[in-house]
Amino acid sequence: MNVAVHVDAREDIPAWLAYGTPVFTVLAALAVSAVALVVLGVNPIAAYATMFVDTLVTEFGLTETLTKAVPLILTGLAVYLPLKAGLFNIGAEGQLVAGALAGTWVGLNVPLPGLALVPLMFAAAAVAGGLWAGIPAYLRAKWDVNEIITSLLLTFVALEIQSYLLRGPMQGGTGNFPQSERFSEAATIPELVSGVHAGLLVAVAMVVVTYVLMTRTRLGFEITFVGSNHEAARQAGMSKFYVYLLVFVVGGAFAAMGGISEIAGAQGRYRAGFEPGYGFTAIPIALLGRNSALKVLLAGLFFAVLFVGGSSMEVAFGVPAALVEIIQALVILFLITAEFFKNYRVGIDFDRGPSGAAVEPQGGDD
Amino acid sequence: MVGFVAGLLDATVQAATVLLLAGMGELISERAGVLNLGVEGMMLVGALGGFITTVLTGSHWLGFGVGILLGMVLALVHAFLCITLKSNQVISGVMLTLLGTGLTTFFGSGWVEESIDGFPQMTFPLVGQYLVGVPVVGEALFRSTATDYLALGLLVVVWYFLHHSNLGLEMIAVGEDPEMADTMGVSVFRLRYLAVLIGGGFAGAAGAHLSLAFSQLWVPGMTAGRGWIAVALVIFAQWRPRRMLVGAYLFGLLDALRIRSQSISLTLGPDAPLAGVINPVVEFLMTPQIMGTYPYLATIIVLAYAVIRTKSDQLAVPSALLQSYSRETD
Repeated sequence: MNVAVHVDAREDIPAWLAYGTPVFTVLAALAVSAVALVVLGVNPIAAYATMFVDTLVTEFGLTETLTKAVPLILTGLAVYLPLKAGLFNIGAEGQLVAGALAGTWVGLNVPLPGLALVPLMFAAAAVAGGLWAGIPAYLRAKWDVNEIITSLLLTFVALEIQSYLLRGPMQGGTGNFPQSERFSEAATIPELVSGVHAGLLVAVAMVVVTYVLMTRTRLGFEITFVGSNHEAARQAGMSKFYVYLLVFVVGGAFAAMGGISEIAGAQGRYRAGFEPGYGFTAIPIALLGRNSALKVLLAGLFFAVLFVGGSSMEVAFGVPAALVEIIQALVILFLITAEFFKNYRVGIDFDRGPSGAAVEPQGGDD
Repeated sequence: MVGFVAGLLDATVQAATVLLLAGMGELISERAGVLNLGVEGMMLVGALGGFITTVLTGSHWLGFGVGILLGMVLALVHAFLCITLKSNQVISGVMLTLLGTGLTTFFGSGWVEESIDGFPQMTFPLVGQYLVGVPVVGEALFRSTATDYLALGLLVVVWYFLHHSNLGLEMIAVGEDPEMADTMGVSVFRLRYLAVLIGGGFAGAAGAHLSLAFSQLWVPGMTAGRGWIAVALVIFAQWRPRRMLVGAYLFGLLDALRIRSQSISLTLGPDAPLAGVINPVVEFLMTPQIMGTYPYLATIIVLAYAVIRTKSDQLAVPSALLQSYSRETD
């Protein structure tokens, strides 16, 4: 008897699949990561209880999560927006670093009161991040130079420059640590409520701006149109050049705001080795939330819970925080696997005879 | 000065081998149409697996083999996602780098303290013992580890395989025009799987060389971006094995120079004309971190220049790179 697997594209995606996929992939990733915990001799149920319950129930956990979510949401948007136009920004990390450096420089060198200084730091960061993203954007928009590679390579350039500046011209504080001077009161992002800085407002505002841009404006429609079919968009008179440049530069500015929020809000000074991988985590965040900017917000919060829960798990059980990286990677792995099953119906056919009746096993030659 | 140059060349060869091995793997994979951004993760897995095996068994070659194998295991995931499930190659690759980094940090934390005797330095078989005395280049070229020689030998094999064997030419066809290759009876799926697996094996070998010959220790994240340099190197070499040899040694030299840049002085004497202007610029350009940006900047410039100035067939980007292939069925 023959068994054939056939794969057909689904005509419409059932609602339970569309909504269940993100939840299911996260659960699957946690289940597989439990294997690593068992290998280390840690009870996964107790560990996950610490990871999620402590993070979501205690005041400390909640404030940490909201703080952590700020750069994650903003870098998530930095990947989300170009993705809508069909571009891949995998250099959000570099844009974040470039912006954070510029913002830090302003914060340390411009004598202004806090009400004016903090917005100026954000503006300087946004400009620097936008320019940094502008390089791959211009090369792609003008000459079709692959933006994936160039934006990624520029990340490593930004990290080297960061390391240079904090060991040289921007080094401050006591000792020989590669770090900047501590921010003055005026250059520190004020607290919103105890423990949560106002960068959260910026992140939420940018989510709303992006949401409105994508759903309520002509420009948002053009971005989606160019992203789904740039040839048709061109014939409809839309400028690919303009759209490509715009989504990347605005994305870079988002990432940069995330960087300066983290430095001037949560850290208090710029420390070298500030390579938290937010720009890479941004990729699963943008993918989980790719249908809407509001979902990017939710995905950013979820990954913040993972990070904060990961560190409390590290404290409680001595589990390396690298487990969070593994879980992240597995979430993407299962997400793109699930994408396939969402879009295709996989069936197994048992060979049937010409009349359509199931073929009986024929004699002994099977 | 002669001693410095000889030492620099020696370090260049070692640094170049890592890039050469990883770059060859990436080149094969991309030639078949699959971009592998997971090299960094595959290298890390190969480095840790090779290191643990060598600590436990005492055999470098067994460690090297395990490194290759583990690189291939991660590559199999990439192949399954990108070829069978037609997932996005960029996402899958970045995910695998993340996974490899996480897994090796997680499971490698207990191995940081271990030490091994890595691959020994050996003179090149037969002629090496006479040529090693050649001034400046002798030590660098003729006293190296076996894996250095292996990488150079493999480059010849890869070049011959891709451009002069049926299987290799079929692989290139699959990366250029999968529909056409399919019509001609070449199995696109099988060849792409093969290319990605070979690529993963090379990345694993590069990682094992790094931990067993180059550093002779394990540190989490020890690849330090070399996997990404390998991706850049393939573009720099415009997907041609022979140019990759040049590129790998150029990037290897930059790597070696950067580590030793403190001991080089290229500044003018204080009385020389314009010394006050030129010296600060030279000092800035010679800072290790600034030198660290050169490979990336060079690649961006070469890529941009090549795309702007040449036609795409001369650039030799595999036409079907990043495109998944679905066979039209009835």
